[in-house]
Amino acid sequence: MKLMQELDKVYYFMKRDIISFSTYKTNILLSVVSALFGALSYAFWGANASMPSVQNLGMPVVTYLLIGLAFNTYLSQSLTLVQRTINPWSLEEVLVSPTGLVTFIVGSSLWGFIWSTLVIVIYLAVGVLAFGVILSVNIIGTIIVVGLGIGTFIGFSMIGAGVLILTKQGDPVTTIITLATNLFGNVLFPISVMPFPLQIVSFFVPQYYFFTCIRPMLVGQAIGSILPDLAILGVMCAIILPVGYLAYAWCLKTARKNGTLSWF
Amino acid sequence: MKPLTTPNEYAVEARNLTKTYTSKIRSPGSKTGIFRGGETRTVAALDHLDVKIKRGELFGLLGPNGAGKTTLVKILCTLLPPDGGTAVVNGFDVARQQMRVKESIGTLFSVGERGFFWRLSGYSNLEFFAAINNVPRSGRQQRIMEVLELVGLKDKAFEVFQKYSGGMKRKLALARALLGDPPILLLDEPTTGLDVTSSRAIRDFIKNDLSRKRGKTVLYTTHYIEEVSQMCDRVGIMNHGKIVALDTPEALKGMAKKGEVADIVVKNMSETQVNSLRTVGGVSSLATEVQNATLGQTRLRIRLENVDALPTVLDFFFREKIKLVNFRQEEPTLEDAFIELTGAGVSE
Repeated sequence: MKLMQELDKVYYFMKRDIISFSTYKTNILLSVVSALFGALSYAFWGANASMPSVQNLGMPVVTYLLIGLAFNTYLSQSLTLVQRTINPWSLEEVLVSPTGLVTFIVGSSLWGFIWSTLVIVIYLAVGVLAFGVILSVNIIGTIIVVGLGIGTFIGFSMIGAGVLILTKQGDPVTTIITLATNLFGNVLFPISVMPFPLQIVSFFVPQYYFFTCIRPMLVGQAIGSILPDLAILGVMCAIILPVGYLAYAWCLKTARKNGTLSWF
Repeated sequence: MKPLTTPNEYAVEARNLTKTYTSKIRSPGSKTGIFRGGETRTVAALDHLDVKIKRGELFGLLGPNGAGKTTLVKILCTLLPPDGGTAVVNGFDVARQQMRVKESIGTLFSVGERGFFWRLSGYSNLEFFAAINNVPRSGRQQRIMEVLELVGLKDKAFEVFQKYSGGMKRKLALARALLGDPPILLLDEPTTGLDVTSSRAIRDFIKNDLSRKRGKTVLYTTHYIEEVSQMCDRVGIMNHGKIVALDTPEALKGMAKKGEVADIVVKNMSETQVNSLRTVGGVSSLATEVQNATLGQTRLRIRLENVDALPTVLDFFFREKIKLVNFRQEEPTLEDAFIELTGAGVSE
């Protein structure tokens, strides 16, 4: 009964966001067009690039780039999802209702995830239809990797949102994670092209493990081939997600105590 | 979970409630740079406040800006934790039984319309808030239409919120507070910024429908004296985080009955002259308000110890060659009690 009530709330959070989102038609169009153009540019580059130093990608360069680009967009969206739910005025209205923090975060983020997933489909469709990218998705493996990746990034997102609730403007967490993803995350180039000291940094960055795991899952490899990296990603997710939740809850509590919740 | 206190005649009980805010001051004169943090100032928003509101009562909380009214409401609705003391709403402790408190109350904040989703219709907004306020799915649609009808917005239910007028937005905020049919309503300055007609419509609805007909307990905060004077069963006057007087509007007016009031509009009176007037014999208090800046007119509300002091005051104006634009002699009102207790200006 209680679970149904919470799911009902999550549904109405999502319904609210879909209705709101659907009224910004220009924004929808621009998102689709940017996804198409982004995918096309990288795919053209990937299809025509000769990269002697990245011969051991395990897949064509175009496939490598498209997956990196598509899922980098996905993770970037995840990174700011919780932050985007912080409208100071509606935040107070929600907090004064008998709705728990978990329902609030899940409900407010759900539509963002669904839309990001639709954008990924556009990216991959461009690759498949226009550049002959061959995908053979290991569905279970992909779900596990994406789940752990999202969990990790939602953890980061909650830390960033918590910092934003306190600082009101400027969140260093999101900036650092974005920079780290682009440089050390194995997104658009393998870390083997970087100097060795920088490669070491990658091993401490969850994004590296996410991209190392997701690519084989989309070209049909068995989950056993990524098990060590997947385990590290799982451990990172198991740490970052609860830490993120606790950090967010603490920042929210502090802002409430200081009476600064709506001071944006 | 059982209530912490036995349900009694009080819907709201606050005991020894305190709340302090700390803020950084960066004044042009202070030797503090951007990264030095500024000087820290501590302000007691609530200073050992005690208040009890009876079940079914329409209770007005009157006070100047910064008196602590909103802080009290935010503590009672669990948005803000108190530093000390206890507050019990509908028998539930605001610190330990937050969910039960939230289920017992409906809230409206003075900027409540900013908590809506502007691209959604009034109905869709209420549908969302009904869901998160545990209104059962089966009766949700009916309840939404009921509250929309109550506040007179049924015909506008499916219009987009951003096209609502200010009065309609505030009515929708009131409808939102009523969605769960809570026994207690915490209304923080519900008419601020509204035109006279919308204000009156909302006040009448709160008094006649919610309070008298439906028996809701209402905590109504405002800095408009006339509002509480006309509609509330009891009024607490709040200043500097304390309730400095609490009684029926009539009894509070009675507190100020002693003496006389002279309401005078003058032209080109200097600050020095205003201060001199305060020291004139028989003047017990004086509040000022700019009446017309262009014409240099100031309204003075002078409390006199007795009617015999009036000639002395008038003599002061003649001596100082101050032109009187308007003069009225009145019996003290709730406004005078408010000014006397809070030391606020007429317009505050």
